[in-house]
Amino acid sequence: MKLFAYILFLIFFAQSAISSSDREIEIYKNIRCLVCQGQSLNDSNSDFANDLKKIIKDKIDQNETDKQIYKYLVDRFGDWILFDPPIKIRTIFLWLIPGLILIIGFYILYKNTTFSQK
Amino acid sequence: MKNQYKILILALVFLIFVLTFYFALGTNNKNNTQVMVLKKLPRIELTSLYEEEKKISFPKINYKNYYIINIWASWCVPCRDEHPFLMKLANENKVKIFGINYKDSKMNALTFLKELGNPFYDIGIDSNGQNSIELGAYGVPETYLIDNNGIIILKHVGPINKDIYQKILDKIK
Repeated sequence: MKLFAYILFLIFFAQSAISSSDREIEIYKNIRCLVCQGQSLNDSNSDFANDLKKIIKDKIDQNETDKQIYKYLVDRFGDWILFDPPIKIRTIFLWLIPGLILIIGFYILYKNTTFSQK
Repeated sequence: MKNQYKILILALVFLIFVLTFYFALGTNNKNNTQVMVLKKLPRIELTSLYEEEKKISFPKINYKNYYIINIWASWCVPCRDEHPFLMKLANENKVKIFGINYKDSKMNALTFLKELGNPFYDIGIDSNGQNSIELGAYGVPETYLIDNNGIIILKHVGPINKDIYQKILDKIK
């Protein structure tokens, strides 16, 4: 029974350790290393990247949410530090145009097929 | 008439695309190092380079004058290039300069200052670079001019040159 509890504890501990490191890596992949050429924090071993990794790890340990961590970095280094541009007035067209093209495409397709059926 | 209407809509959509891309390509989508300018200096606390028990904290509370924070290291070659400008600012009593000694050894830092002169009013150490990140720094050298409300009014990434020296003088006039 004791052994069973011990194994359960180990599994739980291993699970939590894995999920924390997975979360770190997910965040590292979304952050641009500003002193490297097109690399994410996950790909870089530069001093700057390692410092940021340490800060992100500390913030995760302090139970901060991803949103809080990204905000901390954007406040200090700007939107450029994120690989995904946030939805803002300046970037809204970037997000809307693909959808708009799709809608126009469907509309043209619909019109053409209904015309040809007639 | 219906065809003309269609052509007009297509031309309008095309124009929207062209204008969007024209303005989007014109904007600066590269790294902006000036994000911290006009923001309040984040709170940091450093250990003094000279006394281990002494703490140096920023922003300075109830400080009536502008001051400079310069991040430097003895191993940083561009820091040597900018040092004469820092010495000039300090010697002319234009503005107080606080140093943040970045990932350095105490002995090397002191040797550097002995060799080139000490322009700093006080120096705190940032042995792991975490406090510099807190300020939004990328590395060394970096310079911040802070006003009497604790607002960053100038940030320069890289060594101070003649232009930046003049900019600092214009700001503290």
